[in-house]
Amino acid sequence: MRTIDQLFERSTRSLAQRTSRRSLLASVGQLLTGAVLLPLLPIDRAGVARAAQTKPRANGPEDCQYWKYCAIDGFLCSCCGGTSSSCPPGTTPSPISWIGTCHNAADGRDYIVSYNDCCGKSTCGTCDCVRNEGEKPIYRPSRNNDLNWCMANADVNYHCTVSVILGVAEK
Amino acid sequence: MRSAHLFCAALSWPLLAARVLAVPPPLPVEHLTVERLPPRSPHWVYVYDYAFDNETDARVYLFDGDSYRRLGQIGAGFYASINLSPDGGTTAVASTYFARGSRGARTDVVEFTDNSTLAVTHEILLPAKRALSVSSLFNLAYSDDAHFLYAAYMTPAASFGVLDPAAGTTLGEIDTAGCVEVIPSGHYRVSSLCESGRLLTITLDAQGHETARAMSEPFFDADQDPVFAQGIPTNRGNVFLSFLGEVHDIDFSGAQPTFAAPWSLVSPAEKGHWRPGANQVGAVHRELGRLYVPMHEGGEGTHKDGGTEIWVYDLTSHRRLARWPLKGYGLSRVTAVQVSQDPAPILFAATETSDLAIFDALTGRLRHITKRVAQSPWMLLNP
Repeated sequence: MRTIDQLFERSTRSLAQRTSRRSLLASVGQLLTGAVLLPLLPIDRAGVARAAQTKPRANGPEDCQYWKYCAIDGFLCSCCGGTSSSCPPGTTPSPISWIGTCHNAADGRDYIVSYNDCCGKSTCGTCDCVRNEGEKPIYRPSRNNDLNWCMANADVNYHCTVSVILGVAEK
Repeated sequence: MRSAHLFCAALSWPLLAARVLAVPPPLPVEHLTVERLPPRSPHWVYVYDYAFDNETDARVYLFDGDSYRRLGQIGAGFYASINLSPDGGTTAVASTYFARGSRGARTDVVEFTDNSTLAVTHEILLPAKRALSVSSLFNLAYSDDAHFLYAAYMTPAASFGVLDPAAGTTLGEIDTAGCVEVIPSGHYRVSSLCESGRLLTITLDAQGHETARAMSEPFFDADQDPVFAQGIPTNRGNVFLSFLGEVHDIDFSGAQPTFAAPWSLVSPAEKGHWRPGANQVGAVHRELGRLYVPMHEGGEGTHKDGGTEIWVYDLTSHRRLARWPLKGYGLSRVTAVQVSQDPAPILFAATETSDLAIFDALTGRLRHITKRVAQSPWMLLNP
C-alpha cells in the first residue's frame, strides 16, 4: 500500500511540475472519458495468439509496425521474454512513462498508450523499433521517447519497452 | 644418366646461390610504444557512439577528416552527455556507471579527458540525478570562459548542477521549474527550454549562485510546430529548427535572449512535405554563416528520420544556396551533421547505417566515405 502511495505521489508531483492547470484539466477529462469506455475495450490476446505461432506475425507484437507501437523508441519487450504489455522476467517496470495516441485499424478507434520501460538489466538489443507519431521533444517529457524512463527506478539500467493501453482517446 | 644429373646440378648451383643472396635482411626488432596524437587539426571530429545495442558501453571516437583514420577513443559509459571545452583541449563526459557492470550501485560522474593525450585527467562526482536522455549538446555545457560546467538533471523534476571543472567540485543545484537543458551564454547565464515555448534564463554570479531569472515570451508552439531541442551554435547564440522547418535564430549575447523573426527552410509548396529530421539536425559554419540541414520528404512523426538530401542556407539572407542529394553516393539517410570551422571547411555526415561521409562544405563534393564508423553515431562534435 505504501508503495502505491509513493507511486501516486511521485506521478502527481512530476505531473504538477510539467503541466499547466488547463492542460491538466484537459488530460484528466480525456482519461476519464477513456475510463468510462474501458469496459468496452477488447481484451488484448496478443500474447496467447503469439504462443501458437512459430514465426512472428506480420503487424503482430513482435513487429515494429504493430499498431500500439506508434510512438515507441526502444527494444520491443515482446522479443525479449516479455509481451507488448508485460516486462521480461527479472526486470522491473518503470512507474513513470511517456504516452502516445495510436490508431487501431481493427476497430477504428484511437487509444492512449503508455510506454513503460522495463529496467534493471542491460539493453535487450533485439527488435529495435523507432516510431514517432505525436512524439515531442524533451521539454514535453510526457510525450518524449528519448528519455530513459527507468530514471526513477532503483536500478536505472534500460532493458526494453512495453506499450500498455490506458483507454480510448476521445477526439 | 649420372652425367645428366651432374650437368643439371652444375646448372642450378648459380641460380640457388643467387636466390640465397637475394633474401632480404630480417625485420628490425620492434619496441612497444603508445602512439601520440598529431597536433590538433580543425578537421578532427569527435564521433559520439551511443552504442544502442549495449548502452552501458557508449564511447567517443576521435576521427581525422583528412586522413580518414580513427585516432583514438574516449569511454562514455551509459546515456552519456558530452561536450568539448571552449578551447577544444578537453572532452567532458557526464556518465553513469553501475558497480557490477549492468547492475549495482549507481555512480554519476563527469570525466575530463585531455584531448592531446586522450587520457582521463580528473573527475567530478555528481548526485544520482543526471538527465538520462539521448545525445544533445545541451545536457552538459561549459560557460564561455570554461569557469563553470553545467550538467542537466532530471528525476523527472528538472534542475541543473553548477560545477567547477578546474577545482573538480560541484558548487550547487538550481531548479528550472520544469524547463530542460542547459544552454550557456556569457558570464554567466544558463537558459532552458520550456514546454510553454519560452526560454527560462538564469543568471549566476562568479561563485555560481543564482542572482536573477527571467522568462521570455513564447517563441514556438509545442502543439502546432515544436522546435527540436538541440540548438545549433552560431556566432551570437543558437539556431533552433522546428519540425516543419521554421528557423528561430536567437541572439544570446545580451542579458536576455532576443529573437529574430522566424524564417522558413521550405517554400510554401514544400511545407509539410519536405522537412528537417535527424538525431543531430543541423550544423553552422559560424564565420561563413552557413547552415547545413538534413532534409527529407515525410509527414508528421518523421522528425527523427534522417535526411535524403542536405540543404545549405545563408543565415543572413535566408537564401537556400544548395541542395545536395545523397542517394547517388549510395548513402543511407543522414542522421547527424557537423561542419569544421576553418576557411576550407569539410562537412561530416553520419548515416543511419553508421557510415561517415565527408564532403567539401563549400561545393558539396564528396571526399570520402568511411563505412561503419561506429555502432550508433548519433552526434558529431568539434570545437
